[in-house]
Amino acid sequence: METPEKVRLKKSTSKLQLQTPSDGSYLAYIRGLVADLARKIGFPEEEVAKIEMAVDEACSNVVEHAYAPKKEWYWQHRDPEIRMDVRAEKTSLVIEIHHHGHKFDFGCYRPDNIEDRIQKMMPHGYGVFIMRKFMDEVHYSSNDETGNTLRLVKHLKKV
Amino acid sequence: MKDFRIERETRDTAELIRLYGSLDMYSFPRLEAQLTALFQQGHHCIVLDCRDLDYIGSAGLGALIGFAKQARERGGDVKLLNVPERIYKIIELLGFTKVLQVHNAEDSAVGSFAKT
Repeated sequence: METPEKVRLKKSTSKLQLQTPSDGSYLAYIRGLVADLARKIGFPEEEVAKIEMAVDEACSNVVEHAYAPKKEWYWQHRDPEIRMDVRAEKTSLVIEIHHHGHKFDFGCYRPDNIEDRIQKMMPHGYGVFIMRKFMDEVHYSSNDETGNTLRLVKHLKKV
Repeated sequence: MKDFRIERETRDTAELIRLYGSLDMYSFPRLEAQLTALFQQGHHCIVLDCRDLDYIGSAGLGALIGFAKQARERGGDVKLLNVPERIYKIIELLGFTKVLQVHNAEDSAVGSFAKT
C-alpha cells in the first residue's frame, strides 16, 4: 500500500505508528493499514471487518467532531492531525488514537436505544455504539498537555 | 483500495445506482448528492448495487436508512442489491437489515417496485 502525502508511518510486523492530517480522505488508508495488521496477527476476516469499522468510526469522529471548524478549541493553534499507535500484544490488538481537538465525555455518553434509532430510521448516532459493540475494550482519556486518546482493544479468541 | 465511484442507469420504474469502492464519511456526500438530485427529480424508487463496494461505515448506513425513510414517505424505497457477504454480516449484526430491503438479483430488486 502506497503511503499518501503528509503521512508519517513507522511499521513493523507487530506495530504501527501513524500520523495523518485529520481529513476524511485518509480514512480508507488508515482502515487498510489496521486491517492488514489484524489479519497478520491471526484475526479471522469477520473480526477484521469489525475492527476496521470501529477504527473508522473513531477516526471519523475525530475528523467530524473533534476538529469541527466552528468550535474554538486548542487545535486552532496546531494543524489538525490524527496520531495512531497500533500494536499486537500477546492475545490482543491495541489501537490508540490520539488527537488534540475537542474533548469528548465518552464515559458519560450513552446513545439512545440503538434498535429504536434503527427502527425509526434515524440517520445519525451509531458511531459510539459500533465501537462498543465491535471492540472488547473502549477507553477514552483526556489531558490538557498530551491531548485526547481513545484506546480500542480487541482480544484474539482461541477457536 | 478503490476510489469511490457511482454509475447510474434507469431500469423500468427504478433508478439503479452501482457503487464502487468505499462508502465512508468522506465519500458519502457524493452518493448523498446523487440521491438528493434523484429525489428532487421525483425518482423515489432506488436500487443500490453494492457488488463492488468494499466498505460501508455508519455515516453511509445511517444516511441510507434516512433516504429510505424519505423515499417510503413518497411511495418509493431505497433497496440494496448484491451486498458482499463481509458487508452483509456487519449490517445484519448491527440490525440495519431489519429496515433495509436486501436483494440478491437485479430483477428481483427492480421488480419489487412494480409490486408496491
